[in-house]
Amino acid sequence: MVPASLEIPVSGHRFSSVVPAKVTGGNKDFELTNMDLAMKLHYIKGVYFFQSEAAQGLSVHDLKVPMFECLEHYYTVSGRIRRSETGRPFIKCNDGGVRIIEARCNQTVDEWLATARDKDHSLDHMLAYDQVLGPDLGFSPLAFVQFTWFECGGISVGLSWAHVLGDAFSASEFLNAWAQIMAEEQLSSKVNDRVLKSEFPAFVSGKPFSLKKVDPVGDRWITANDSRTVTHSFHITGKQLHHYMTDKISDFEIISAIIWQSMSKVRIDLGPKTVTICSNNRLVRGDELAAQPVNGMTLSTVKADFCVSKVEIAELAKLIADRKVPENGLIEDLLSGDEEKSDFIVYGANLTFVNLEGADLYGLQLKGLKPVFVNYMINGVGDEGTCLIVPSNEKDGGNGKIVTMTLPEDQIEKLKSILENDWNISN
Amino acid sequence: MPPLLPDFSNSVKLKYVKLGYHYLVDHFLTLTFIPVMVGIVVEIVRLGPDELLNIWNSVHFDLIQVLCSSFLAIFIATVYFMSKPRCIYLVDYACYKPPVTCRVPFATFMEHSRLILSNNPKSVEFQMRILERSGLGEETCLPPAIHYIPPKPTMEAARGEAEVVIFSAMDSLFEKTGLKPKDIDILIVNCSLFSPTPSLSAMVINKYKLRSNIKSFNLSGMGCSAGLISIDLARDLLQVHPNSNAVVVSTEIITPNYYQGKERAMLLPNCLFRMGGAAILLSNRRSERRRAKYRLVHVVRTHKGADDKAYRCVFEEEDREGKVGINLSKDLMAIAGEALKSNITTIGPLVLPGSEQLLFLLTLIGRKIFNPKWKPYIPDFKMAFEHFCIHAGGRAVIDELQKNLQLSAEHVEASRMTLHRFGNTSSSSLWYEMNYIESKGRMKKGDRIWQIAFGSGFKCNSAVWKCNCTIKTPTGGPWDDCIDQYPVHIPEVVKL
Repeated sequence: MVPASLEIPVSGHRFSSVVPAKVTGGNKDFELTNMDLAMKLHYIKGVYFFQSEAAQGLSVHDLKVPMFECLEHYYTVSGRIRRSETGRPFIKCNDGGVRIIEARCNQTVDEWLATARDKDHSLDHMLAYDQVLGPDLGFSPLAFVQFTWFECGGISVGLSWAHVLGDAFSASEFLNAWAQIMAEEQLSSKVNDRVLKSEFPAFVSGKPFSLKKVDPVGDRWITANDSRTVTHSFHITGKQLHHYMTDKISDFEIISAIIWQSMSKVRIDLGPKTVTICSNNRLVRGDELAAQPVNGMTLSTVKADFCVSKVEIAELAKLIADRKVPENGLIEDLLSGDEEKSDFIVYGANLTFVNLEGADLYGLQLKGLKPVFVNYMINGVGDEGTCLIVPSNEKDGGNGKIVTMTLPEDQIEKLKSILENDWNISN
Repeated sequence: MPPLLPDFSNSVKLKYVKLGYHYLVDHFLTLTFIPVMVGIVVEIVRLGPDELLNIWNSVHFDLIQVLCSSFLAIFIATVYFMSKPRCIYLVDYACYKPPVTCRVPFATFMEHSRLILSNNPKSVEFQMRILERSGLGEETCLPPAIHYIPPKPTMEAARGEAEVVIFSAMDSLFEKTGLKPKDIDILIVNCSLFSPTPSLSAMVINKYKLRSNIKSFNLSGMGCSAGLISIDLARDLLQVHPNSNAVVVSTEIITPNYYQGKERAMLLPNCLFRMGGAAILLSNRRSERRRAKYRLVHVVRTHKGADDKAYRCVFEEEDREGKVGINLSKDLMAIAGEALKSNITTIGPLVLPGSEQLLFLLTLIGRKIFNPKWKPYIPDFKMAFEHFCIHAGGRAVIDELQKNLQLSAEHVEASRMTLHRFGNTSSSSLWYEMNYIESKGRMKKGDRIWQIAFGSGFKCNSAVWKCNCTIKTPTGGPWDDCIDQYPVHIPEVVKL
């Protein structure tokens, strides 16, 4: 009898592919922007949990069929990375398709979420494929979708998305488009013009702090960490945030401030002094769907020249809100110049806060029912760690947030105790 | 420019000489008949009406003689009409159109190959080279079980594929012809590599609740030429059974036959064979004469199985690891050429105009008696047929036949485009090609069509059809949504 702790909860994996319904044809080549290439070593994972009512009567065929039509619009997602003569990567829209994985889990949805709340959400990665582009770069799918059936009849949809394709907003929009087609709603076919050059002129010259150069990775697009990183998710209710809210400061800034201060207490060197803020200027509008995925986020850095652990949260939050310096222009310049062929990481170069507040994560509906829980994670994160701030579902009275931290193993435990003791924030 | 003009005038003269010769020989009987008739008319006119009346009166007609002669005439007429073979009409046919969810682009096929054959990069390389030169397009389809890595070919999946393909084609046929299931008298299903018990024909009878006294047949193992074998069988049955409808279903079920090993000669079919199927309604009822699309003129079957090399050239066997696949030998093309020659020798006299046959005979005599070095005369089949449907077995097959029969690019267009859009669908490919020609609006009343199919054994079978009525577009077939994009130029090598 295998002890429950050693039993692998998710098994029976079956792999297949889904391709665009119509031939993309013309051997389209999709240029990658400098921002896309800056993000190429990162991977986004999103897991959506649905109860059995939402999944009843849905076979894998029913789930796959809308994906064919969806990929007709999102033909870049079906493409593969190739290198041009200069060595610069681009996407060849050759209809290679998206990899679909079917799996079974021996727990119910409620059991899984309960375990996750008690311990951490680190097992959620089993519900979305651990994707790495390469070493066979030209034959690696850019996106994976895993459907996992639970004992109760519930289902989880796990998206693995290469960041080189687009940001988390694009990933979430892609899946929402798929669900819309499944519900036989109309998709508008607006294709946005990709912004090939950053809109932000470089006010400041010099090197961007939000990027960190890493050793060349060749054709295997993942970077090695110095120590093992672990992912943990915290839940912050609307009420807890309400205490600190003012007009000019958003929930994101408050949470970032709390985490920054807590981290400064965790680390021996009282750092970090610089953090990276990743936000998105795009508002989610109904007619933005079916646009090609983009990396449309704004990367900024915030420098604190005082001791972070000793100030008021409100002040720290204000610092983040007012004094962040956008670096897109600097990144653009850096990657257009000598460093064109170098490899960089963004998430985890500094302690990075990613704002996914505006993402319509609970807009992914199966049979008109919303998911009970949605979690997003980032893979390929550097040693400084990353913090994703994601909207929570409305059960707790709205405005709650899920904070998913990816940190080196030894720092996570200390952070957990500080958050619990100082802020009453737990899983 | 003096040097060119004489050549030009020479070739023009030659062309007219050839045309004159053909016209003379082909209409020989008419041309001799006319002078004779003219002579008789002139004679009658010359004799005058009185003389004619005299001749008429001088002929004594005895009652018995008259009765006997008329009985004899009636008897001969009856024997003639009774022994004349029944006319077999092709009322209509329907081809299966796979859904987009079965689509397999090159990139996906190659990626799956790389993952399945990850330990055999040479085999993967081979498959890539084959695919690049195959002449297939990006829209060919494989059944759902084959989309998995590795493929999951269960019997249930194979039955599922058979049901989807055959029932879709049958439903489409019922809709097009208004045929009622209870009116089917003869059912023939041919599927070479999947032969479950109960048979596929039993599956059809069960699904559509066909009559209990139906004559059903299931042909398996007969390769890609089995479609025409089924047509031949239907024709023979329709000679015996008056006033009957026969439904022929031609398909190939891919699911159980996807080769999972690494031998190169056996990987070739994986690259070429794709999902497809067709259902055809044949009838000998006179009431169908009006609306039938085609009339069956000839079926010629040639079997080279007596030759050992021909017998083994397409052979299903286990590889060294025990995995079953179809082994294609290297002399496949040569054997196909031989089989074609045999078939042509038989079909030539049936279809070629007298002028071509005469030329062929004279050249043959000349080669045998005078000089064996004379080039053998290849009869011009373009004079006998307006359309050619060459089984889309692969690019090499179509190239070979185009060369051997001296056909133009337009003649083989239907075959090439079917290979591009649907792949090698085995016995049903001829029907996709027929539908291509119809969808292009090229099928006119009186057109003659030659269907040629090759198959394991080694067999070469031909069928000759005559178009009964000009066919209007759109035809409600698998080409309807994409015919405007065709013909496409298929490059020699597609870069993946």
